[in-house]
Amino acid sequence: MPELLKVSITEDINRRSGASLRIIVPMKQVPDMRQVKFDTEKGKVDRSSAAAEINPFDLHALETAVQLKEKLGAAVTAISMGPRRAEVALRDALARGADSAVLLEDSKFAGADTLATSYTLACAIRKLGGFDLIICGEKTVDGDTGQVGPELAEHLNIPHLAYVSKLVEAGEKLVAVCDMEGEAHIVEASLPVLLMVTKDINIPRLPTFRDKAMARKAEVTIWNAEELSSFADPSRFGIEGSPTRVRKVFLPSEEGRKGKIFRNTNEEAISDVAQAILDFLG
Amino acid sequence: MINAQQLQEIVGEDWVITKREQMESYLVDETAVAIRPKPADNVILVKPASAEEISEILKLANRELTPVFVRGGGTGICGGAVPIRDGIVLSTERLDRIEEVDRANLMVVAQAGVAFGAMLKAVEDAGLFFPPHPGAENAHVGGLVACNAGGVRAVKYGVIRNFVRGLEAVIPTGEILMMGGKLLKNNQGLDLMHLFINSGGTLGVITKVIFRLCPKFISSGTLVISYDNRHEAIDTVPEILQSGITPLAIEYVERNVIEISARRLGMRWPAAKGQAFLIVMLTGDSEDEVYAQGERVSNICEKHQAVDILIAERKEEQADILKIRSEVYSSLKDNVADVLDITVPPASIGVMMDKVDTIAQRFDTTIPTYGHAADGNLHPHLMRDLHERGILRQVKREIYQEAIKLGGVITGEHGLGVVRLPDLDLCPDGKTWELMRGIKRVFDPNNILSPGIGLL
Ligand SMILES: Cc1cc2nc3c(=O)[nH]c(=O)nc-3n(C[C@H](O)[C@H](O)[C@H](O)COP(=O)(O)OP(=O)(O)OC[C@H]3O[C@@H](n4cnc5c(N)ncnc54)[C@H](O)[C@@H]3O)c2cc1C
Repeated sequence: MPELLKVSITEDINRRSGASLRIIVPMKQVPDMRQVKFDTEKGKVDRSSAAAEINPFDLHALETAVQLKEKLGAAVTAISMGPRRAEVALRDALARGADSAVLLEDSKFAGADTLATSYTLACAIRKLGGFDLIICGEKTVDGDTGQVGPELAEHLNIPHLAYVSKLVEAGEKLVAVCDMEGEAHIVEASLPVLLMVTKDINIPRLPTFRDKAMARKAEVTIWNAEELSSFADPSRFGIEGSPTRVRKVFLPSEEGRKGKIFRNTNEEAISDVAQAILDFLG
Repeated sequence: MINAQQLQEIVGEDWVITKREQMESYLVDETAVAIRPKPADNVILVKPASAEEISEILKLANRELTPVFVRGGGTGICGGAVPIRDGIVLSTERLDRIEEVDRANLMVVAQAGVAFGAMLKAVEDAGLFFPPHPGAENAHVGGLVACNAGGVRAVKYGVIRNFVRGLEAVIPTGEILMMGGKLLKNNQGLDLMHLFINSGGTLGVITKVIFRLCPKFISSGTLVISYDNRHEAIDTVPEILQSGITPLAIEYVERNVIEISARRLGMRWPAAKGQAFLIVMLTGDSEDEVYAQGERVSNICEKHQAVDILIAERKEEQADILKIRSEVYSSLKDNVADVLDITVPPASIGVMMDKVDTIAQRFDTTIPTYGHAADGNLHPHLMRDLHERGILRQVKREIYQEAIKLGGVITGEHGLGVVRLPDLDLCPDGKTWELMRGIKRVFDPNNILSPGIGLL
C-alpha cells in the first residue's frame, strides 16, 4: 500500500461561493519534438524546423478543466504567452472546450525564462480577475523544467499540487491523487489552488469537426505589455526579467545495438561471456 | 535435396540454421491458426546477404530440385511464406540496407529485407512521403511488392504497384535481373517488372526495390465519423467519392472490433458515440483546403445520419487512429478462423455489406466486418464458432459467390498464398490460369520456387 498522506490547505483567496468554477489553463505552443532539430552551435531549439502544436501535457490540463466544467459547471480560460502564431494553439483549445482564450504577445516578453514567463502569466491572471483553479500540464516537452506551474502559484500566493494523476473530489474543496515517485499521496486542498497534472489523469478528447471549424475563426483576446502594466513591473518581463543563462545544449549520441557472437562452449569462452556482461554493467 | 554444408559454403556457417527450435518463427506467418498451412518437417533456414549469394543458392536448388520458400517479414495472412514442402526457407532479412533516398528524383532505393516501418521513417526524415500504408510496419519491402499490398492509404494514390519503378530479382535459374529503374516512363519491351508485383515468391526472389515517392503534403486531418447504423456509414462512401473529393483513405470499422484493438494497445478509441465508423484522412496544400474538404465530407455524412464527426490534426492523434486501425487484425487473430479479403466495385460496397449481413443471419452468427471502404475492399471476419460448427468453408464460399456476382474478386490485397487456392474454382477461369502457369514455367522450369503457393 502506498503511504497516504493527508494535507489540508486552508488559504482561500477570491473564492466566490455558489457560482460555478472559474478555471484557468495556461498553455504553451511547442515544436513537434519528434521532428524538431537542435542548433547545437547556438545551443537552441530551432523552432522553424518543425510544426508547432499545444504542449501535449497541456492537453491533459485542458481536458481536466473541461471535464470539471461538464460535471460542476465552469468557465474555462486558456492563456498563453508567445508569438502571434500561438493563436493557433489557443483556437485549438477553444475547439476542445475552453470558453475564452487570451494570448500575451509583445516583443518585451521574448527571451523569457521560467521565472519571467510565470511572472507574466501571473500578471495576466490577476488582470483576468478571480479564479478558483489553475490547471497546468506537468511540464513542457521543449523546456522540460516543470517550473512554470509552481512559480506561477508562488507569484499568486496560492498553494499548488504537482503530479496530479487523479481528482477524487472537486467542489468546495479539492482532493487529488499526486504521484510522488512510486508513492501515491492523497492530498486535500481548499480553493483556489494550482494543479499540475500528469498524462495519467485522462485521455484528451478530439474536438468535433464543427467546433474546430468554428474555433478557427474565433476571436482570441490579445494583451501586450502595456495592457498588463497596471498589474506588473515591466522590468520583470522577457529577457530582462530572466536570470537563467543557458551555457550549452547538446544531444546525447544515439548508440545502436551491438551484437557479439561467442562461438565456443569451453570454460574460457564462458568467462569471456561473464566478462562481457560485467563490462556492460560497468 | 540440398544439405546444410552446401549452403554454408555459399553464405558462411552462421547463416544456415538446421535446428527446428531455432527456426520455429520462420515456419509460420500471420495467417489465422484455424486455416494456417502446416509447415513441412525437413526444412533448412538460410539467410543470404546479397543477390549474388541468392543466385548461388537458387542455382544449387535448381540443380538438386530442392524447393525454396521465400520469406520477408512473415506478416502475410494467406500462408504464402510457409514452407509447405521439405526444402529451404530463404529469409531476405540480411538485405536490410536503404541504399538511397533520392530527393532529386523523388525515389527511394531499398534492399528487399528493409522493414517497411524503417523505410517510412527514412523517407519521412528526408522530408518526403510514401503514401501506401499496409497495416504491418514489420513487413519487408520485398514482401510488400511480392504481395502488391494495399492497405489504408490507397484511395488517392493507389496500391504498392503504383509506386514500384524498379526491381532487382533473382530468378530460379540463378540470373539476376534488373527491371525498370528511376524512371517514370519505360516502354522497352514487355513489362516484366509488373509480373513480379504480386508474384508472391513464385517467379523470383526480389532483392531490391525502387519506389517512387511524393512530396509531403502541407496539411492533413483525420475525421472519425460515427454512425448508429453500418449501412448508413457504408452508403456514405461512394457519395463522398462521387462528390469529387478523393481522400487519402476512407476506412470502415465497427465499435466491437476497434475497441478490442485499442484496448490491446493500451489506447482508447476516440469516438464515444455510434457503433459504426468511417475514418476519412484528408490532405491538402493548406489547412484551409483540408477544412473545405472536411466541410463537404461532413455535409454528406450528416445527410446520412452521422451522429458525431471528430477531427484529429495533431500528428500523434492521427497516428494513434491509424495505429488502432492497423492493429485490428492482430487483436482479433486468436478468435478468428479466417479473415476474408473480398473486393467489389466501389459503388457496390453497400450491397456487399447487406449480403454479408444476410449470410450471417442465415447461419446464426456474427461477422465483424471492416475494410478499405473506398476501395470496395472488405475484410469480413469469420469467427472460430464457424470452424467449430464445421461450416466455415460453406459460409466463406457463399460470401465469395456474392462478391463474384457483383463483379468482384476473392482477394483484393492479401493474395492467394496457400489458403485461397481451394476456392479458386468459383472464379471465372477462361484461359487466364493456364497462361499464368505458362509464365511460371518460363521463369521456373523445375517448379522449385514456392511450389504449391499462389498458383493452381
Ligand atoms: C496486422 C496486419 C495488418 C495487415 N494489413 C495489411 C493491409 O492493410 N494491406 C495489405 O495488403 N496487407 C496487409 N497485411 C498483410 C501483409 O502485411 C502484407 O501482405 C505484406 O505485404 C507481407 O509482407 P512480408 O514481408 O511480411 O511478407 P511474407 O509474409 O514474409 O511473405 C508473403 C509472400 O511474399 C513472398 N515474398 C516475401 N518476400 C519476398 C521477396 N523478397 N521476393 C519474393 N517473394 C517474397 C513470400 O514468399 C510469400 O509468398 C497485414 C498483416 C498484418 C499482420
